[in-house]
Formats: sequence, structure tokens, C-alpha cells
Amino acid sequence: MELAWYALLGLFFATYLVLGGYDYGVGLLLARGATPGARRAALNAVGPFFLGNEVWLVAAVGILFGAFPTLEGELLSGLYPAVLGALAGVVLVTAGVQLRSRPRGGTARAFWDRVVVAGSVLAALGWGALLGGLLQGVPPAGDGHPAGVGHLFTPFVAAAALALLALVAVHGATFLTLRLPVADVPSVARLARGLMPAALTAVATATALGLLSDRVRAAVARPAVAVLLPLALVATLLMARAALRRGRAGLAFAATSVALALPVPLVGAALWPRVLVSTVDPAAAPQLTDAAVLTVADAAASGPTLALLGWLALPLVPALLGFQAMCWWVFRGRTDGRAPVYW
Amino acid sequence: MDPLLLARLQFATTTSIHFLFVVVTLGLVTLLVGLQTAGFVTGKPVYERLTRFWGQLYVLNYVLGIATGIVMEFQFGLNWSGLSRYVGNVFGAPLAIETLVAFFLESTFLGMWIFGWHRLRRGIHLALLWGVALTAYASAFWIMVANAWLQHPVGYEVRDGVAHLTDFGALLTNPTLGFAFGHVVSAGLVTGGMLMAAVSAAHLLRRTPDYALFRKSLRIGLITAALAVTTLQGFGFAQFGPVGKLQPTKFGGGADRDALVADWTTRFGPGDYTPPALSSVGLGFMILIGFTLGCAWFLLPLLWRDWIIRLKFPLWLVLLAVPLPFVAVILGWIAREVGRQPWVAYGLLPTGQAVSPVSPGLMLTSLIGFTLLLGTLAVTNWVLLVRHAARGAHDPALGRPPAPDADHHPHPVFA
Repeated sequence: MELAWYALLGLFFATYLVLGGYDYGVGLLLARGATPGARRAALNAVGPFFLGNEVWLVAAVGILFGAFPTLEGELLSGLYPAVLGALAGVVLVTAGVQLRSRPRGGTARAFWDRVVVAGSVLAALGWGALLGGLLQGVPPAGDGHPAGVGHLFTPFVAAAALALLALVAVHGATFLTLRLPVADVPSVARLARGLMPAALTAVATATALGLLSDRVRAAVARPAVAVLLPLALVATLLMARAALRRGRAGLAFAATSVALALPVPLVGAALWPRVLVSTVDPAAAPQLTDAAVLTVADAAASGPTLALLGWLALPLVPALLGFQAMCWWVFRGRTDGRAPVYW
Repeated sequence: MDPLLLARLQFATTTSIHFLFVVVTLGLVTLLVGLQTAGFVTGKPVYERLTRFWGQLYVLNYVLGIATGIVMEFQFGLNWSGLSRYVGNVFGAPLAIETLVAFFLESTFLGMWIFGWHRLRRGIHLALLWGVALTAYASAFWIMVANAWLQHPVGYEVRDGVAHLTDFGALLTNPTLGFAFGHVVSAGLVTGGMLMAAVSAAHLLRRTPDYALFRKSLRIGLITAALAVTTLQGFGFAQFGPVGKLQPTKFGGGADRDALVADWTTRFGPGDYTPPALSSVGLGFMILIGFTLGCAWFLLPLLWRDWIIRLKFPLWLVLLAVPLPFVAVILGWIAREVGRQPWVAYGLLPTGQAVSPVSPGLMLTSLIGFTLLLGTLAVTNWVLLVRHAARGAHDPALGRPPAPDADHHPHPVFA
């Protein structure tokens, strides 16, 4: 039962990273100084999906609270700075995208575009730091709560944050090759390919720093799975690059989507059956005590709560997926002069 | 500084801002459903124009509703980890249901509604708005289920210091739920109706060329507000029964209160179990505003032969009354939530035990940062709302027909 809910939580968070990821990627790319028309076209390529994308995050946190209340409290307060950054970013992007076209003046719109860029950077860095922080573990205080915030500021977490930022940028550019009118595709495809080396370097740096970090080595229960993550990321990125070169936008987007989704299941699997590991001084305590580890089973809500939510989720999750699929289907294809413009 | 105080201040700020946008969302979406349905059934263009104009304001208002809502959801984990640790098994369930059943679908439908003009069939487009409205109400319901549980915890048992769910049905039949839900929904309708009436009044006072359109929305808004203010008062006063019985410390004293305080003192140790006076003061002023808004009924006879417009001064009254429902919802919220103190879950979990063990400096950073961020966004949002309301209904961006094809050459027409 706990495993099913853990998987569902992972599904929602991974889907959020894929869908929200291209929101933020497109948001980041507003920074490259394109014309106002091109910026608006990029935002309206996300257009109808935007509101339906970030709800995956809200639903993931809802599942976290309902099915894993202990984890919710410890995870969010233990990784406070990362969550704070991501949250500020999400709020800025939400407000920026929806409000940017409401003023009529060009200056105001350019200002809101900068808000969207800043928000996208913060959101991508924040979620990257959160995933890195999970792999690195948190220091425990006497009462079992995570203590302090300084533990989060390590080279590995910084590299993980930058890696997600680079992945998100590639993903956003690839999304645009799929959605913008055919005439605009070559330039964004070039951009996506140009961002590839940065993404590969960032993933490699994070991998190297992770391998060197005592805390990461102590926290990870299955090193093989953890090593699989960067390898799989590199493979999907190379695949996306090859697909972009051949003009296969759909395949390239599928590949970058996998790259955005992969970190969630693989981080979960690398830590399994633990979820939040306390690593304060791995040298002094090579064997982690039970008190220092929060397992998925400990973190889960008690049986009746999970059963209630389970009966509810059974018919509900297909309905949610169905309505999202309806949105994707209705607004499929490339944008053109006839597509509604609102953002 | 005390992290508890900082965490409480942050929750109060975020929730207050959130609530100001949410009541408008609830009220306007109901009115929009009426407008778009009327347009669908009658086929009159005025209803489509009304839907676009009020829909534009609704969508603008929705932006801050989401932004503040997301921050609130995260705050439970960031600042109140004790809440999820001790009562998360019970309190978390309705919140999880809210995100999945209600908010997830609400936003998905709204995205399709905004971009679906001139692209989807009219019936489907209307159904999407109905979906948005129904899920908005579902959202309010589940949030109130969670809130009512904090007011009066039911359907649980405590094992090893942690609350476990035993009877979910009890959460739905919580005596502090039904009337409060009706009260909140009525407040939304009053606010939405007053807003609609006031914006229309402003346009009519400026002698708008869109006379027929704003005359119609003035009437719709005023009648909605008048009807809803009566249910608002009814649900409001009806709550005194259950609240007096179940939360005797909330408003005033009596033997019940003394007995409860004595019981708590034996179980939790001596302490100050009286809520701050702020809650009773808030209640008093809110009731005054409620009676003032009830005067909307006196304006209804003036709708006859448009005397309300011809006399002009009633329009000014409507315009000046706009801040009242907003002040009242904040005061009402203060009465309900501050009156619950010093408990986060009444009689079960003291507020001090629920706060996260986060350093005061970090809590202060988060408080200042998010207050500035959300405050600035809220003010900006209101400025944009006022500007769009003032712009009138000539050509709102929402539902604007797409630009004609670039390679489409119109044939010149010779008269």
C-alpha cells in the first residue's frame, strides 16, 4: 500500500517536472533577447497547457500531505531553503506568465518577462537542490527533526541545481521545436542543440561531486541505481540531440521528457526503502542507526487514511489523466496565426 | 524573535491575501456560469460580451488565488511540520482530496476555457466553465472540511501521541462544517455580486456608451448580492449554536468555558486558554458590516424603471460599499481562526507544538520575503483589475477572435 502511494507521489512529481519543466524552460529562454512578438509566441506555445501543468505540483504536495504527512513536514522544513527558492520561483512564473500581456505597454511586458525569467531560474534551481538534498541526506537534531539549513549548501547540491537548470533549458527549447510554426523551428532547434553541451557538463559535474561526497555515499542505499541516473540522463540527451539534428521534434521532446522524469524514480529507488536519511557525520557513524533514517513505511499515513484515499484515487486518477489528455488533444499541433493568444 | 509568532504571522498574512481573491473567484464564477449559460440558451450577443468582460476580470483575479494558494499549501510543511506529524493522518486527507478532486481539475478546465474560445464547440466550452465552477465549490467544501476539523476534531483516536483516522464520515458531518460552508459560499456570492454591481455603477456614472450591458450586470449583481446577503446572515447566526456548544472559549464566558478550561488545565497543564480579544472584536464589526450590506434590499425597488440609475446617488452608495465585503471576510476569518487559539486543533494540539523547529532568522526571512512578494503581486493584481474594469467591455483580450490568416487577402468590397 505504501509502495503504491509512493509510486503515485513519484508519478505526480515526475510529471510535474516534465510539464512544469518546459514551462520554466520556455520562461528561461525569454532571456535571450528575442523580439516582443517572439517572446509572446513562445509563451502562447505553452498557452493552454500552462494552468494544467503546475497543478501536478499542487497535487503531488497534496498526496505528500495526505499519504506521507510525516515526510511532508520533515522534507519541506528540512530542505527549507531549496523549497523556499522553488516556491518563490513557482509563484513568480505563475503570476508573470498570466499577467504579462495584461498591460498594453511594451515596457511593462518586458518587465514581466524578466519576472518570468527570474522565476524560472529559481524554480529550476530549487527543485534541483531538493533532489540533490534528498540524495545527500539531512542532519538530525536531538528530537529527530532535521536541524539547521547550512547542510544544504554543498558543492553537490549546487551542481545538482545547475544540472536541473540546464536540463530544463534544453527541454524548453525542444518543446518549442514541437509547438512553434515550422518557420521558427530551425532557430530553436539550433538553440536546443547548443544547450546540450552545457547540460552534459552539468550532469557530469554533479555526478563527479556526488561520487566524491561522503554524505551522498552514506545516504544512498543502492549505489548501482544512483550511478544509473547520470548514465541514463546522458543517453537521453544524446538521443534528443540526434533527433533534433534529423528534425524529429516529437522524438526529441520524448527524450528530454524522459530526462526530466528520470531523476524522480531513480532518486527514489536509490534511497529505497529509506526516503530521508540523516547524515551528519558519516565518518563517525558508518552504520546508520534506525533513528537517523525515515523509511517510506514510517513516513506513510496510517492504514485507514491510505485505504480511504486509495478508494478515492482509484476512479479519480484515470479521470484526472483523461481530462489532461483532453487538453493535450484539443490543443495539439503547432501554433499558427489562428491559434488563440492570451498570455 | 519567537518562531511561533513569525509562523503565525506568515500564515495569517498569506491566508488573508488568499481569502480576498478566493471569495471573488467563488462569486464571479457562479455569475459567469449564469451569464454563459444564458448566452448559450438565448443566443443573445450581450451575454457573450458580458461573459468575456467579467471572465477577463475573473481570470485576472484567479492568478493571485493560485499563487497564494500554492504558498499556503507548502507552508503546512515548511512552518507547521508538527501539524502533519501529529494530526496529518486525519487533517491531511481532506487537503489531499481537495488538491486531487478540486484544484487539479479546476485549473485544467480553466486553461482549456481561456484558450478554447472560437476553437471548441460552444457546448463543450460552456461545460468547461461549469466544470470550473463545480470544482471551485468542491475545493471550498474540502478546505472547509479540513478547517472544521481543526475547529472541532472528530473521527479520530490518539495512539502513541499521534491521531489516527477512525471515521471519515464524522469529518463530513462535523457540526462546525455545514453552516460555515454555507456562510463562506454566501460571502463569495455577496462579494462577487457587489463587485459586479459596483463596476457597472461606475460605468453608468461615467455615462458609458455600453448602457444596456452595464444596466444588465448592475441588476444581476445587485439581486445576487441581496439574495446572498440574507443567506449569509442566516448561516452566520446559525453558527452561534454549534460554536457556543463545541468551542465555549471562542466568544465569551460561562460555566461551559470554565469547565473546559479546568479540564485542559488538568490534561495539558496550566496556561492561558483564552483567545485574544481580537476575535470578538472582529466578530462584532463583521456583524455590523453584515447588517449594512443587508441594506442592498432597499435598493432593489429602485431597479423599477431604472430609478437606481436615474437618481445616481444609489450608484454612489453601491460603489462606496465595495470594500465592505472584503473587510468583513477578513474579520470573519479572524473571528473563526483567532478564536480557536491557543490551539491549532481545538483541545487536541496546542499551536506551539505544531510549529516547525526552524530557526527564527529563517522564519523571518520567509515571512518578510513572501509577504513582500505576495503583497506586491496582490497590489499589482488589483491595479490591473481596476484598469481592466475601467477599460470597459469593448474588446477584452479574453475570447478575442484570433487574428485573420497572414496569407488571407480580403477582397475589396465596393459599395
